[in-house]
Amino acid sequence: MNVAADATLRPTAKGQVGDPFSSPWRRRLPLLPALLFAILVTQLPFLVSIYYSLTDLKDKTQSLIPEPTKFVGIDNYKAIFSDPFFRQAMWTSVQMTVFAVVLSLLFGTLFAILLDRHFFGQGLIRTLLITPFLLMPVVAALIWKQQMFSSLFGILDKVLNFLGFSSVAFISDHPLASIVTVLVWQWTPFMMLIMLAGLQSQPSDILEAAGVDGATPFGIFRQLTLPHLRRYLELGALLGSIYIVQAFDAIDVMTGGGPGSTNVPYFVYQESIGGGFRYGSASAYAIVVVIFSIIIATLALRLLSGLLKDEERA
Amino acid sequence: MKVLVGILVMGLIAVASLAATAIGSTKAKTISVAIVANPQMQDIASLTPSLFTAKTGIKVKYTILDEGKLRQVTTRDVGSGGKAFDAVMIGMYEAPQFGTAGLIQNLTPKAKADKSYNYNDLIPAVRNGLSAKGNLYASPFYGESSFVMYRKDVLKKAGVTMPARPTWDQVAKIARKINSKSMAGICLRGKPGWGDLGAAFTTVLNTFGGTWWSSTSNGKPSKAMVDQPAFKSALDFYAKLVQDAGEKDAANSSFNECLAQYQAGKVAMWYDATVAAGLLEAKDSPVKGKNGYALAPVKKTKASGWLWSWALAIPKSSPDAADAWKYISWATSAQYIKAAGTHTKGGWASIPPGTRLSTYKLPQYKKAAAAFAAKTLQAMQAAPIKNPGTTKRPGLPGVQYVGIPQFQDVGNRCTQLFSRVIAGAAKDTDALSQCQSIASKAIK
Amino acid sequence: MIRRARRGSRLGVGESRAAIIALGIAAWVVGMLWIFPVGWTLLTSFKTEQDASAQTLHNGLTFGRYSDVSHSTTGTLSLSAAFTNSLVVVVVSTVIVMLLALPAAYALAIRPVPKWRDVLFFFISLKFLPIVASIFPIYVYAQKWNLIGTRTILIVLYIAINLPLAIWMLRSFFIEVPRELIEAAEIDGTSLFNQLRSVILPIAAPGIAATALLCVIFAWNEYFYAIQLNFAGASTMPQWVIGNVSTRGNFLAKLSAASIIACLPVVLAGWAAQKRMIRGLSMGAIK
Repeated sequence: MNVAADATLRPTAKGQVGDPFSSPWRRRLPLLPALLFAILVTQLPFLVSIYYSLTDLKDKTQSLIPEPTKFVGIDNYKAIFSDPFFRQAMWTSVQMTVFAVVLSLLFGTLFAILLDRHFFGQGLIRTLLITPFLLMPVVAALIWKQQMFSSLFGILDKVLNFLGFSSVAFISDHPLASIVTVLVWQWTPFMMLIMLAGLQSQPSDILEAAGVDGATPFGIFRQLTLPHLRRYLELGALLGSIYIVQAFDAIDVMTGGGPGSTNVPYFVYQESIGGGFRYGSASAYAIVVVIFSIIIATLALRLLSGLLKDEERA
Repeated sequence: MKVLVGILVMGLIAVASLAATAIGSTKAKTISVAIVANPQMQDIASLTPSLFTAKTGIKVKYTILDEGKLRQVTTRDVGSGGKAFDAVMIGMYEAPQFGTAGLIQNLTPKAKADKSYNYNDLIPAVRNGLSAKGNLYASPFYGESSFVMYRKDVLKKAGVTMPARPTWDQVAKIARKINSKSMAGICLRGKPGWGDLGAAFTTVLNTFGGTWWSSTSNGKPSKAMVDQPAFKSALDFYAKLVQDAGEKDAANSSFNECLAQYQAGKVAMWYDATVAAGLLEAKDSPVKGKNGYALAPVKKTKASGWLWSWALAIPKSSPDAADAWKYISWATSAQYIKAAGTHTKGGWASIPPGTRLSTYKLPQYKKAAAAFAAKTLQAMQAAPIKNPGTTKRPGLPGVQYVGIPQFQDVGNRCTQLFSRVIAGAAKDTDALSQCQSIASKAIK
Repeated sequence: MIRRARRGSRLGVGESRAAIIALGIAAWVVGMLWIFPVGWTLLTSFKTEQDASAQTLHNGLTFGRYSDVSHSTTGTLSLSAAFTNSLVVVVVSTVIVMLLALPAAYALAIRPVPKWRDVLFFFISLKFLPIVASIFPIYVYAQKWNLIGTRTILIVLYIAINLPLAIWMLRSFFIEVPRELIEAAEIDGTSLFNQLRSVILPIAAPGIAATALLCVIFAWNEYFYAIQLNFAGASTMPQWVIGNVSTRGNFLAKLSAASIIACLPVVLAGWAAQKRMIRGLSMGAIK
């Protein structure tokens, strides 16, 4: 480990006896190891994927041995937009991400407001609330599937019947809502932590001054707290959607795909190593998704003004 | 500063433990085997050290995975010439396909040369299902067919009798008659997956005269047949029966869910794997002794029961094929079956069933499995693996699946649609037309 | 910077006593509701399989399932093996992530390189790439280089998935470091390493710890790569957990016990570090 540490740090350290950071290359040096690593490990596979996407690579023996392939140009890409299943998956992805992010942000904010004050057992409740975020996603999905939603082994069914309602086949009748429930359950604590951080960083003197001036708690919240929290909300939305748009474990465990639960990552998985073994066309789907993601991410990042705008230091 | 030191210390510990494990790995003879996480397989894992390693000196390292993941990793490892496993457990679906593709070894010469293996003792249908062009590619560890299980007391009370060879119309009539608020008429699989709903449904499809694909003269898939009337009538029959007289939350139910409901007295009949009978008649089962068994129901064919086996195969790339065979010939032998009867917790009723004729001659097993052993063997031998339907079809042998690689994906995605139909959340015509396009695209 | 810590302590301004009590009760209700699935799983893990499937409690509570899952049979993936594999993979990958991300964050925040915005954006956009999209080429090359079933492949990939997050978060913590301190250090000719060590680290420490913890959480809980690339050989905890799922028999109680064991280390770490995490996030994640 020490070797690695030295490898990243020493060259820079040695090189700046005189006037440090005089040349732009010196400045870039600390960035290089991370940049190189990211390019090698994440970008090269995509280049390979782009190549595959231009071929008719299929795997009839399901063996992952690339078979002799034919170059088919952009045929795979042409086929994408006429594929109703892909459109369905895109729509599911959008719904899943938006619902899960918005709901977990909403709950996270409410919980943070509840926790940002003294009450008996404050620490305990905060501890309980963050727990779902710490669980393995696959375990969380299994818990909900087997012990909550299942009309046979699950507790929700018993509760519903006890309250006089008829049974609901949660996962089979409402696959999207079931998966969103699990995602919200896991991500609300994360949002709550971010919002707690936001609330606790409010300058208290201003709040007190407002109180002395006779502002109502709601007025203070709307006029002072909410604007202050805006950047935190944006951060939560960004980080949340980065992870939630990739949701895979919950779908794999709970429904194994299907209308209303196959999102884009799961669709690409089904087309390729998940059973379809059509690597050529699956790669084309993947590339299209990447392009879409980059466009959306660019828009999102530029729109979330506060996150990247800060004091220029150079 | 503290943090940095902490991080470095943690890193050093990790490197040290890496090094330690690298040095610590012994050079004793060890083979690596992948198996599925079902009870009989867990039993053999626990018996291996005392019954196999003690005699041969060969250690066995098991990778236990659930069915879906096992299939993914073994197919990939076997297919790509990976060296992760010396022996792998594969299903009857894979064995002929892998064999034909030259990915696994032909076991026939070894099996015939090995006297203690007793090749001719294998149940012929199972052996044929695991073979391609007369070559055995995997040695069966476990086998099952499908049949109808029913509560004798419930049927009697309703004044109906179950024929020994029922038709689907008879079974549906009985199911609707005995269906009540507290007890559903029949439990049928509705959970998506080619091995779940796909298996149960395809046996119905076969006997209704339908097929997934038509066949070319040389046994290749020619055209998707999901849009044909026979397919629709099979799906409508299945979905309607479940909706009228089926279990609760059918779209989420497969073997385990039906088992639990049957044992809890919430369903009166159950169409599923023959291995379920062993669990229904187990010592601690609440329905022990109350059950009757009948062959898989038919409509247009003479027999419709499925045939499945988990079997051990040796990948072409196996690093230690000789020891792998030693292991397989022990694990799938008649001797192991006997040993399992005396050494496992579950006793004779929980030995790996459905592989050898001799199993059904063991006096202890005949006694422990009196209620279902004969019916199970009959079902297995009747399974129409070479001619499951009314028309010529691709991917034979195979009953509840089509033995072509595309079927996994098509079966999974179509049963997701059919499951919605069963749940009443989608229209049959919509599901069928979508499935037709999935099935056509797959064989292009 | 120190002044802004309000610690959420005092009563909100101008709230009546009844409202405060009502909000306290609401917090308790919400807390109980949110933890319920975990609590229920904990209860299931002490039941027998029959009781677990039927949601009854006829046979009392035992540690039986815990001993079932922790005493695995010889030859199968044992708890200790899976735990060691997970620990090594998580610790090594997190350490390397931090070693790569600290200098990178420095170059993006304290001494921003030209076009730092684009570089940062490049890193963040990496997180948007669907993991499944690249699994096939990764598998093919991992196979070629004999990396399937090794800890190495998971370490490399976990570095890749956590690096963008780490750089992003560390950068925002570094921005908090007062510029005067760094300038002073520069005038003294302090090297980058010493600057990091003596000026930046003490101030950014809570943030660095929070970042490292998030990396640990994501790496410990990762399932997709673990199952696709490391199914045998050096399998990690998620695989040990799902090894308890069977298609022919009841498994709820055993699965619950295994789930509790598998999640415990990260849950405990998260509990212990929650305040630090909040502080870390409040310090700079925003700027």
